[in-house]
Amino acid sequence: MENHTINVPGAQEFARPRTRRDFFKSLAVAGAGATAASMLLSREASAKTDDVDIANFALTLEYLEAEFYAMAVDSGVLSGDALGVVENLASHEAQHVTALKDLLESVDATPVEKPAFTFPEDALTSQASILDLAATLEPVGVGAYLGAAPLISSPDILSAAGSIAGVEGEHVVAVNWLLGVVPYANEAFPKALTLDEVSAAVAPFLGGKMLSTGGPRLSPEEQYRLNKAYRLGHL
Amino acid sequence: MSEVESRIPLGIDREVSRRNFLKTAAWTGAAFSAMGIGGFGVAVRRAEAQSEYKTYEGLGDAAILQFAYQLELLEGTFYAEGVKAGIFKDAFLEQIVAIRDHEMAHADAIATTLGDLGADVPATPQFTFPNGAFSDAAAFLQLAATFEPVGIGAYQGAAPALESKDILAAAISIHNAECQHRCAINILNLVNPPNNLAFEEALPLEDVQAAVKPFGITG
Repeated sequence: MENHTINVPGAQEFARPRTRRDFFKSLAVAGAGATAASMLLSREASAKTDDVDIANFALTLEYLEAEFYAMAVDSGVLSGDALGVVENLASHEAQHVTALKDLLESVDATPVEKPAFTFPEDALTSQASILDLAATLEPVGVGAYLGAAPLISSPDILSAAGSIAGVEGEHVVAVNWLLGVVPYANEAFPKALTLDEVSAAVAPFLGGKMLSTGGPRLSPEEQYRLNKAYRLGHL
Repeated sequence: MSEVESRIPLGIDREVSRRNFLKTAAWTGAAFSAMGIGGFGVAVRRAEAQSEYKTYEGLGDAAILQFAYQLELLEGTFYAEGVKAGIFKDAFLEQIVAIRDHEMAHADAIATTLGDLGADVPATPQFTFPNGAFSDAAAFLQLAATFEPVGIGAYQGAAPALESKDILAAAISIHNAECQHRCAINILNLVNPPNNLAFEEALPLEDVQAAVKPFGITG
């Protein structure tokens, strides 16, 4: 079903060569505003712009997780250990959303709006289905942060991203525990994911659309570097 | 005092680590702005950004890795002794074995990278553990619960100070493994729910040094 639209360009469009006019047209569509656009005019600001993209990219993932876990807590099908774990998952992701929005607003960037997510029909019908989806989402969160980390210019944002990534890693372990996966922590080198891999993984929740980072700022060369850098996280 | 001074051979796949840990890449030349972005520090205080990384600045990647190498050896040795002590079985044992293997894989990968950088791999310190650390599972797990946040804090603190993007990518992955260990140790300690932190915490260098000094790391 295709009932959802995102009011920003898709990730695939980012890789297209753009004229300056196209660039700003898309920016306006993305609602990034004049402040963000003017930042693009100076070379010094480009690092900042990348960081804004990455933070918005992360924010979208956190929105997705936060919404799913909030619904899971409200579903009434969780109990015992699973309820406690998922309540914390919901709380953590909501705090990550707030932290990332604060981060973006503190530099006069516009946080992306929460998209309308779609979940599989049976996602919330049982504890098992909730945990299955959690086990799918959490490694994507880890991989996205690990993949993006080498692209982040600001040490503060990098530190924050690492902090949040680590928590997503803990979530993987807690969900493993509930699912009876032993050992619970079983990766010496948790994997980074490429931008494409993350986008593909979350596309089903966006009605089949690719994940937006909130602005059309990547040239083909940048896209290449991004994916290359993402892959470097694979050990 | 129980003392341990030898690396435990674990049959780690050295070639895989060597090949992948530090690939030469176009990224090596990429400029890494240490200047950062004004205003972010305040906003992300809740995310533990703060300024811990500044205490690692100026050390250089090799010195940071040399320190990290010793931390990994300390952890790896600790978990190896825990396995040898015979105080765990079943799922508990499987988890402790896995963490041991992870820490040793980290040490091995870091040693390889130090070699690639032309830097010395530090001699294995003479580690010292508290009396009774390996006499029962509870004592061991209590110590484990104090180790993991030190490793987490060290990597998280040092990451923004790393100059090489390749090393950063590796360090942030290792950091994630340490966070996963923290949660796993919580599970073994019957902390429920075990995922009880919304933000991992960075530690300044001096705090990490102070934490590991009693165990024999003086670097």
